[in-house]
Amino acid sequence: MRRRRKQAFRQAPWRLQVRLTSGAVLPVITLLVVAGIYLAVNAKVATAGREVLTLEDRRADLQRSNAELMTTLAQLTSPARLMERATAAGFRPAGPDEIDYVVVDGYAPPPDFIAPSPPSSPGEGMTALSPAFTETLGEWLSRRLGGGGGAGR
Amino acid sequence: MSFDQQVRGRLRLILALVGVVCLGLTIQLIRVQFGPYAPIFASWTSAALGQTQEVRPDRGLIFDRDGVLLAGNTSMYYLEVELRQMAGNEEIIASVISRLLDQPLEDLYGQLTTKRKSAGLYRIRLTRDDGQGGRFPITVDQTVADVLNGFLADSEAPDLSGLALVPAPRRVYPAGSLAGHVLGFVNQEGRGFFGVEGYYDEWLMGRAITVQRSVIPPEASLEADPPAGVNLVLTIDADIQQMVETVLQETIESSGSESGQILVMDPRNGEMLAMAAWPVLDPNQYAPWLGEDEEEEPVIDPGVGGTYEPGSTFKVLVMAAAIDAGVVLPEDVFVDTGQIEVGGHVIRNWDGNAWGPQTMVGCLQHSLNVCLAYVASQRLGAELLYSYLDAFGVGRLTGVDLAGEVPGQLRTPTHPEWTESDLGTNAFGQGVSLTPIQLLSAVGVLANGGTMVQPHVVREVVGPQGVYWPGTTVLARPISARTAQTLTQMLSESLPNETHWADVAGFQLAGKTGTAQIPTDIGYDPRWTVASFIGWGPVSDPRFIVLVRLDKPETSPWGSVVAAPAFQEVVERLVVMLEIPPDSVRAAMSAGQ
Repeated sequence: MRRRRKQAFRQAPWRLQVRLTSGAVLPVITLLVVAGIYLAVNAKVATAGREVLTLEDRRADLQRSNAELMTTLAQLTSPARLMERATAAGFRPAGPDEIDYVVVDGYAPPPDFIAPSPPSSPGEGMTALSPAFTETLGEWLSRRLGGGGGAGR
Repeated sequence: MSFDQQVRGRLRLILALVGVVCLGLTIQLIRVQFGPYAPIFASWTSAALGQTQEVRPDRGLIFDRDGVLLAGNTSMYYLEVELRQMAGNEEIIASVISRLLDQPLEDLYGQLTTKRKSAGLYRIRLTRDDGQGGRFPITVDQTVADVLNGFLADSEAPDLSGLALVPAPRRVYPAGSLAGHVLGFVNQEGRGFFGVEGYYDEWLMGRAITVQRSVIPPEASLEADPPAGVNLVLTIDADIQQMVETVLQETIESSGSESGQILVMDPRNGEMLAMAAWPVLDPNQYAPWLGEDEEEEPVIDPGVGGTYEPGSTFKVLVMAAAIDAGVVLPEDVFVDTGQIEVGGHVIRNWDGNAWGPQTMVGCLQHSLNVCLAYVASQRLGAELLYSYLDAFGVGRLTGVDLAGEVPGQLRTPTHPEWTESDLGTNAFGQGVSLTPIQLLSAVGVLANGGTMVQPHVVREVVGPQGVYWPGTTVLARPISARTAQTLTQMLSESLPNETHWADVAGFQLAGKTGTAQIPTDIGYDPRWTVASFIGWGPVSDPRFIVLVRLDKPETSPWGSVVAAPAFQEVVERLVVMLEIPPDSVRAAMSAGQ
């Protein structure tokens, strides 16, 4: 086998040159391909990161706007404002002798007011991102081989 | 020229070009590192690599018991100018801001044109004169920010290039001054002071976290949200608070009083339904309340921080102690001669007259100082009296969840300045100082069957982990239920004869007037008084206890004349708002008719 290969190189020396050249160029090409993929992935991650930042800014704007609207609503419905409007509309507070009390069997008073819950804790927000943006190659491989479990970090 | 020479020439040319490029790069590197624009490049670098920023969560919201928003958050905007981005438009920026905010044009223009670049300053925050030689950052609200952002986005609008609006959270109180004294306020640094804001500051504030922010993020990840502060629901009822504040304002105006408070509490559980104080405090504009004299701290919430000598309202506690100790009975008769000497100090009645034989009910009805001094000094004695007063919490903090509470003062025999005459004067509320909430809490014992509950203003705490209800805290049982019932009955009988201005048709109420002299450095003020009234009802099932205090009324010094009508007006509305039917209706309902 080795003798036949030597024979071939002797008959066509360019084959050796092609082999050497391809041997030298292949790692370079491989490196370039890996670098290209690396750059593409990083660019995609950076773009996604920018998008996340933009969305977070947008969320902050919406939260500000929401708080502003909530405050405006509270100002418009404040007890003083409502009393003013009721008085202007011709109403007046009722006296104790102007109230009729009726016993209603089975009446359940309205439940106590419960304030809205404040925003969730930081840990809950972190899981919202797709694992495609956060997991390592090893984690992805183990997830794929392991049947889809263990996503993300 | 030979081929070799040509090759060498070309090589030299290439080398020279490479050398020039390298030299240029070296010069640029030095310029970037050390030149005048070095800080800018450094900031770009740090921005690209990531900056650490402290992120604070929104401060928790505060609601009344029915969900009326009392304290919320909105945004204010600082006006900052990126000096490098201005292109000769300093005058336009100054002019626009000057017109929008009514600020001096010269001042703004001066800030924009002062050479700061040489000092390495490229971004400035516009400020205004605070009128006292200092400077405050200029802030604008959302409306003005919208106008300025509109200008920035419109190419045909005035050129505001370089102007930036930097948002910052701002505490806002939508109901204005409503319950302002209870709420306290939050300063520009986001710290709460006084009232609920001060007491629950750490809880409301949440926890700031440090995050890494970069212009070009190296990875796609969501930033962690800082742990949010809790939302609070108060025991305060905004409608009752509004009504009580209105009554207080009208009473202050009609009586010519200097200041005053009205407190309303549910005696069964210590929930404060309303706490009004005059002059009002608008937490949106708290600056006038910060005294210029740092040594003399202002009393932001006089309901818990303003001490006074209670006068005759204190007699209720002394009589309760005497009845509970069994040293007197309601029907016991005391012959009032118009004066009594206790510890060398002669005590006289409020009118200087002798009222003759009086039962204990009569002593309360006519508010006889001599009778109460007799009960305290000759029937109770110092040890019993002060142990009862201690059990009532006099001279101690109630522990109400409001910042700024003070304990008041009660001198006992262990105090170096106590004298025996204190026994006589303390009996009718002189020589002892307490806060309105202390008196409310102590007298609330009578309305709650002898059990003392802690007054509180927070009903519900809502955090990310869930809801927490603080509930009722029993502080003590200073007297028996029987004594509480007896005292309530005595005061219910005496009230219509003491003052008819506290009556509310259809409801049996118990209460006591108070008119106290005001101590000064040279004795008691000869003219001014503190007029007060404390009462509760309905007697058969107390649902509220109300304290009215008026400082220095002009029209009359007497609590029975100026404070009792305010109590009456409050209760007339209160029974409707709390849906308490008249006694006859409740009796009929109980009987199943």
